[in-house]
Amino acid sequence: MKQINRTFGFKDDWQSSRRRAWILFLVPALIVYTVFMACPLLNSMVLSFYTGEGLIPDIFVGLKNYQTLFSDTIWNERFMNALGNTFIFFGIHMLVQNTMGLLFATLLSQKKLVGKNIYRTIIFMPATMSVLLTAFLWRLLLNPRWGMVKALLEAVGLGGLFSAWLGDKNTALIVVSLVSSWQWVGLPTMMFLAGFLGIPDELVEAAKVDGANAWQIWFRIKLPLLMPVISMVSILTFIGNFNAFDVVYAMMGANGAPGYSTDILGTFFYRVAVAGEHPVANADKGIGATVATLTFMILMTGVLGWLWFSRRNSQEERLA
Amino acid sequence: MKLRFFALGLMVLFAFAISTAAAQEPVTIVIGSWRVDDVDQIGTIIDAFEAEHPEINVVFDPTNPPDYNATLQTQFETGTAPDLMYLRSFATGRGLYDHGFLADLSDLNGLTESFTEASLAAWSADEVHYGVPLMAVSHGIYFNASLFAELGIEIPQTWEELLAAAQVLKDNGYDAFANASGDTWTIAEIVFMNLAPNYIGGYEGRLAYLSGERCFNDEGSVAAFQAIADLAPFFPADQAAITYYDSQQIFLQGAAGMWMGGSWDIPFFESEEPDFDWSVFAVPAPEGQEEEYVTFHLDAAVGLNAASAHPEEARLFLEWMSQPAFAESFGNLLPGFFPLNVVTPTLENAHANAFLQMNEGRGVDVRWAWDGLLAGEPNGYTLMQDNAIAVLNGELTAQQAADNLQNGLAEWFVPAQTCGS
Repeated sequence: MKQINRTFGFKDDWQSSRRRAWILFLVPALIVYTVFMACPLLNSMVLSFYTGEGLIPDIFVGLKNYQTLFSDTIWNERFMNALGNTFIFFGIHMLVQNTMGLLFATLLSQKKLVGKNIYRTIIFMPATMSVLLTAFLWRLLLNPRWGMVKALLEAVGLGGLFSAWLGDKNTALIVVSLVSSWQWVGLPTMMFLAGFLGIPDELVEAAKVDGANAWQIWFRIKLPLLMPVISMVSILTFIGNFNAFDVVYAMMGANGAPGYSTDILGTFFYRVAVAGEHPVANADKGIGATVATLTFMILMTGVLGWLWFSRRNSQEERLA
Repeated sequence: MKLRFFALGLMVLFAFAISTAAAQEPVTIVIGSWRVDDVDQIGTIIDAFEAEHPEINVVFDPTNPPDYNATLQTQFETGTAPDLMYLRSFATGRGLYDHGFLADLSDLNGLTESFTEASLAAWSADEVHYGVPLMAVSHGIYFNASLFAELGIEIPQTWEELLAAAQVLKDNGYDAFANASGDTWTIAEIVFMNLAPNYIGGYEGRLAYLSGERCFNDEGSVAAFQAIADLAPFFPADQAAITYYDSQQIFLQGAAGMWMGGSWDIPFFESEEPDFDWSVFAVPAPEGQEEEYVTFHLDAAVGLNAASAHPEEARLFLEWMSQPAFAESFGNLLPGFFPLNVVTPTLENAHANAFLQMNEGRGVDVRWAWDGLLAGEPNGYTLMQDNAIAVLNGELTAQQAADNLQNGLAEWFVPAQTCGS
């Protein structure tokens, strides 16, 4: 019988080629990633240097799209407004969604808690629903005419607290962010919970022996050990919110009503690059690609910053 | 080897069969559209055409409205556009013609005889007509006739009477108007541009703005924004968060006396069967003004793909479309959408007729922002919408809103830069 010599095309002996064989395992992922992620991304960046009507902008204009976006009064106002709103949108998610997630996870990780699974299901449930559905639901609940929230507040004598939050420029974005936080709070909860459960009991018990109370254990022992998960959740929230589009589109429409107060980068990009502004409906794909490229750069800066920070931290830990 | 020859022979036979079959098959022409709701009705019309022309097979292939313009543009660029397609009026349709995608239809039999110059103008470029006018939508004020009778309110003949009627409704605990700005486009299209023609002087007045004779912050424009301020106290509480659908329901539940709306909602209102009588009247002009106007917006025409494989058959369909018989069946199948033939058909639907009756003795014109004001940024539509909403919310005065409109348009619209001089 002929011996099959699996060298994977390398001329060296079996041992060393086996060591290099990992490259081959990367090839499928690399091809898929290049074709479906890297190429379109680069293409989109190239597109941001062009202008023209229609499917593929074909007039090269260099950095003019960037100049328009930053110096033209109208464009700049809309872009900066969307950028600012995106930061607020992200901030509220960090503040509300992730803090609540941490709180829920702390409660769910209590050993003596009864009905743990029921709570866990309830908290996670909204995350399984369609965004269109939750948006519609909350619009109905908050409707100033026949909404449940108003009726409920009036029933307990607090009708004066209600106002048409979704129609108010000062509150609409906050409400939309809260609805989105409500929907997705289950995800950080699950991740934090897994993190809490992964903390060895010995550490907690040792702290108890040393006389630490529950708060001290949580703050001094558990929270520091949860840091890797917290930073992971933060970066995921960052990426998710800078790419957000669906919840605003479903609740407030593509224009970010009222008065562009809920316009975020996602909806701004959609109007500029895909749909055009009603009723003109002439999309400017060149400037759209510019917005997309800038969004990508913001995301990349954030993620690289986080990578650098977390690597430095882990190195310090190793040294310590 | 033998088998391979046999297979080849079979393929040749098949090819013959297909080509001879194709010769007998009728020619297929495709119509693109954004009217996904009209598939059944247009199907009936197409059946009538196919009965007369069995050699032509017509396919109605509509696209989701928000995607229509982008889809059509893509289809044209990739050579897959339909033979015939619905065209939006003014700038959007004109853009397609300027790209050379649309055929010149000026020599189409009966075109200039069947449609008025004003209708044709919405799909024309320098004497070239590239669209056969298909339909218009009208605008007015829906009112709860039962409630009006109960409270003894007459149909208002002047703007002042309208406000008085609104006050009566409000005093009796009703919302005078069901309109709201939760969906911003409604303030632009069915409130502001609905009432504007009375204040700017309809078609002639509008052309004076477009020629630079008048500035966009002159007294006519200020008066139109002032009318929004007049209406503000009569809109529902918390109107900023009430959507188009909410507004419709407020009116249909009998909680509001009036609703400024468009004729396209007739089928929906009829299907909801509210337990009261309703009809429409035209937005009345201010006291002492004799000329009144109705916003009768030219909405769609049908154009011919310049690269169509079957231009002869497509033209035959377009010619058939410009006949009064087509207008009659179209107007009756789709109440609320009005055919544009010079011979106005008799409509069986009473509500559609009520809309059409408003045109008697009044000037008609398209929505203010459409003609010429959409071709630059900031466009006239967004300016009118945003500033009308600001007036509605009491954030701007009518004069400030009109100034914003003028200054915004002066950024790019040449007549606005040199106006009034």
